Amino acid sequence: MTRLIMSLLFFALGTVVFGHSKVNLTVPENEAILSAAPEIVELRFANKIRMIKIEMTHLEHPTVQLDLGDQKSFATEFEVPMIQMGGGEYVIQWRGLGIDGHVMNGEFMFVVE
Amino acid sequence: MDSWQVYSAGAKFALYIATLGAVGICFNALLFKQLVSTAVYRRCIILFAISGMFATLASFLLRGASLLGNWSGALDPEILGILWETPVGSVIIYRLVGFTLILAGMLNPSRGLWLAVFGGILVLCSFTQIGHVADRSSFLIQFVLLQHLAVASFWIGVLIPLSDLARDPKTSEQAGKLGHRFGQVAAWLIPSLLLAGVYLTWQLVGGFSGFASPYGLMLLAKLLFVVLLLGLGAANKFRFVPALMSRDPVSARHLSNIIVIEGATVLAVLAATALLTSAFSPLG
Repeated sequence: MTRLIMSLLFFALGTVVFGHSKVNLTVPENEAILSAAPEIVELRFANKIRMIKIEMTHLEHPTVQLDLGDQKSFATEFEVPMIQMGGGEYVIQWRGLGIDGHVMNGEFMFVVE
Repeated sequence: MDSWQVYSAGAKFALYIATLGAVGICFNALLFKQLVSTAVYRRCIILFAISGMFATLASFLLRGASLLGNWSGALDPEILGILWETPVGSVIIYRLVGFTLILAGMLNPSRGLWLAVFGGILVLCSFTQIGHVADRSSFLIQFVLLQHLAVASFWIGVLIPLSDLARDPKTSEQAGKLGHRFGQVAAWLIPSLLLAGVYLTWQLVGGFSGFASPYGLMLLAKLLFVVLLLGLGAANKFRFVPALMSRDPVSARHLSNIIVIEGATVLAVLAATALLTSAFSPLG
């Protein structure tokens, strides 16, 4: 019985697991001041994540969702087209799932002069 | 800390109580057959196991809501499907199968106890498959966590039977016996529980400087409650249980009062743990 339980334990614990993933880099970078609004927003991660949504808020305008297109699998890089709203502060918020099952979210901002 | 993390901590708190309660009573019934009868605690174990199943599902749906950042995520098939592909899915299977085995074992409490214990170990294993410890991908740290959980459940599982026996004057002598026999095993197991805790802490926060983070401070709060729990356990072992063995009539009441405080402290430890595993990260 003990041997059976031990071998089942080894089996149960043998599954491969993965680590947290942090956002490594964004384009534009956080708190950047730009002379013109970028055409795309880019996010890069250390480990693969499944992006669920990327939202953009410009000044007082209501928050809009940016189009992820067919980026519907676990990846380390995501690119979404920006919606041009002229000068002012843009806040980008994202939510995703780490490959280890952790819910991840974050935000960054930039200013267009 | 966002509100999803608080809800998620709430579901985990319920899951911890249900898991450690169900598994712990089964462990005690296995070790102290004459004193903790599965026939008596069958309903209690069943209640814990069913609560555990509900907490497992609630935790899953909340993760869906948290992933979408909206309550609708809890019932969104696409979102839940994405979660299912990650270790979250396999962990749910471990837990539901484990709790089902506990329930199946309780259909025939005297013969099914081994099945229930096996189901309980399966549920405990699920906790090594996801979270900050699983992220380390090390077999040793996962095994240490399993041992930590098994001993913690054994400790928590003795509280209900011990308090029941101590409260009834007819069975207070048996309470003394159970307390004594538990104390003999605990003298070996509790130090290993603490050693496991120290090892896991060291692995997760990586030294004294790690305690300065929010995660480290929450861990210290948990530790404070654990120290209180140890003090209460020691008072039981060295004072009230021996008094009960020598048939001191007041000691039964003292023992059952201490167990109530111990129970409340256990809840505080589990609440701190739920927050640690859902709202804080050792990575800072």
